[in-house]
Amino acid sequence: MDAFLLGASEVLSFSTLIMMFFGAIAGIVAAAIPGFTVTMAIVLTLPLTFALPPLQGVSVMLSVYVGGYTGGLISAALLGIPGTPSALATTFDAYPMARKGEPGRALSLGVWASFFGTLISTAVLIVAAPPLAVFAVKLGPWEYFSLIVFALTIVASLVGHSLQRGLISALIGLAIATIGTDPMMGRPRFDMGFDALRAGLPFLVVLIGIYAISQLASEVEDPKSIKTGEKLVKGEIRFNNLSVMREVLMRPINLIRSSMIGVAIGALPGAGGSIANLIAYDQAKRASKTPEDFGTGTPEGVIASESGNSATAGGGLIPMISLGIPGSAVDAILLAALMVHGISIGPRLIMDNPDLVYGMFIAMAVSSLMMLLVCVVSMRAFLRVAEVPKWVIVPTVLVCCIVGTFALNNRVSDLSLLIAIGIFGYAMKALDYPLAPLVLAVILGPIAETNLRRALMTNNDWSLFLTRPVSLIFLVAALLSIAWAIRGFIKNKPSTPQTKDHN
Amino acid sequence: MSEDRDQMLTQQAGEIARLLSYVALLAVSVSMFLEARTIPTSRFEALGAGAFPMLVHALLSLLLISAIIGAVRRIPTEAYPRFASQVVQWVQARRLVLLMFLCLLVYVTAMPMIGYPIATLVFLLILLVTLSPKTKSAVALSVVLALVFSYGLNWLFAEMFNVFLPRGR
Repeated sequence: MDAFLLGASEVLSFSTLIMMFFGAIAGIVAAAIPGFTVTMAIVLTLPLTFALPPLQGVSVMLSVYVGGYTGGLISAALLGIPGTPSALATTFDAYPMARKGEPGRALSLGVWASFFGTLISTAVLIVAAPPLAVFAVKLGPWEYFSLIVFALTIVASLVGHSLQRGLISALIGLAIATIGTDPMMGRPRFDMGFDALRAGLPFLVVLIGIYAISQLASEVEDPKSIKTGEKLVKGEIRFNNLSVMREVLMRPINLIRSSMIGVAIGALPGAGGSIANLIAYDQAKRASKTPEDFGTGTPEGVIASESGNSATAGGGLIPMISLGIPGSAVDAILLAALMVHGISIGPRLIMDNPDLVYGMFIAMAVSSLMMLLVCVVSMRAFLRVAEVPKWVIVPTVLVCCIVGTFALNNRVSDLSLLIAIGIFGYAMKALDYPLAPLVLAVILGPIAETNLRRALMTNNDWSLFLTRPVSLIFLVAALLSIAWAIRGFIKNKPSTPQTKDHN
Repeated sequence: MSEDRDQMLTQQAGEIARLLSYVALLAVSVSMFLEARTIPTSRFEALGAGAFPMLVHALLSLLLISAIIGAVRRIPTEAYPRFASQVVQWVQARRLVLLMFLCLLVYVTAMPMIGYPIATLVFLLILLVTLSPKTKSAVALSVVLALVFSYGLNWLFAEMFNVFLPRGR
């Protein structure tokens, strides 16, 4: 209880609330700009939080995260272009609704559904994370290694268009993670005589290079489109908040089902909002008495998609807090933010820093409230941001990436690494390799290696990975995820929609 | 019909490009596997510092070999002679991407010598003016943005966060 109050007092302090308010605005603005992903917004927020205490910094990033999931709805509803892949299913009904002359209703429905989706996922997070962490403390290095194998195979099988390239991408990530001193004995490896590589590739430099630089490069691929801008808002937009809130709450089953789908998928490593919104939409359509209305502007579709994608935010924090395994690139950045502050990540996080974990729970709820307030009060002003042309976004965000990378370690050599990784990331993207498995493998690689070597230091018997029940379950699950993905690819009709791998 | 054919040709070019990437990655992976074998083992543990990288590179090499075999089987032989001209077209279509990376390389190389504000000002002016529509208002906005993100950001980081961006020699 003391830890809860301590966390609450820090999150609810005036300075944190003000920063979270601006964080929510930044998230909404960023995701509203097509081509600017939630992940990029969080990456750019990170250096700004270095000077803050850990909880304050993470709270600001959570507000960007929650705001970002909502911001994707703006261009989805008004232009039919999802601002983020997680808003893909939102375009199916919010866009027709807006075209029928109800853009305000489409946006308000999305905002309220996002709000309730985040609240429900936060409630599940509070209930599920602590017992899972207590269980996780009892796991040995065998189970941890097998869990990471499972996490990487499921990421590789869920994102992108090819399981083979997904696995190759994950193994490249693991290979990158082995550059630099080894995590157990400190022996130098693969530094090729470069001082910059001696300590290994900094995870955040890899992340910014792979996600932000390569994404920005993709944005300038078409010389014609970059110089033109399309007007977003045509006609008047009215928000009837109270009636829309009632409209959302009058569909409790759809709201709760979609949110629970979001939580469950968010908790799976690698899946995330880009899949959750499609599955939630699909389930809502199957359960509906009037499935033929879906796709024509029905509120059911908007509520399912938006509550589903927003609920993944809380769901993704469950494995991160209880196991120290990030579920998505955004969770990986949050984890890195805690590591920058010297906080050790893993199942002991909730025992050693309960105020921080409870503070994160509260920050999630507060963030969703902030997002709601910001959207309700000033949605019209935000609509302007989607008009910012790409020729302004690309160069200025590039400079922000450079500054953010330099600020991590105050090292100019990191900038050369950033460009090299950016070019590598762009090449991988152009060749249709999924990037999410690589990024997650870079952060999970040292944990996997440490646990593998620790397991064999404790007992030199490899069969323990198969004879310890929990370890066996994870390894079987890893095999099943690969088999399931192969089956999906063979049938060429995957049961889960294959998605782009950025949020 | 011709659209379908164009799409098929693009797919085949993509397959060849991926095949080349598999071969390049395989070469790197095999050489790193061999280097990992030379890392001395410790007497305190069963696995040495080289064991995990060897495991990773062995798996990666196996996957890449299977990917190479699969790609070679899929790609028709008549697709190879077309590939060089398709690469040239692809590169030409992405000239702005190349320009962006070139500007970034020069920018990052010059920054330690001339300092963050000047390097950023020049970098932004070049890139913004190149990418923007050629109107007076766009050029004016480019100048304002270049000043804000060079001198403005430098001031913000120094005064607010105590992070001093490179000052130059």
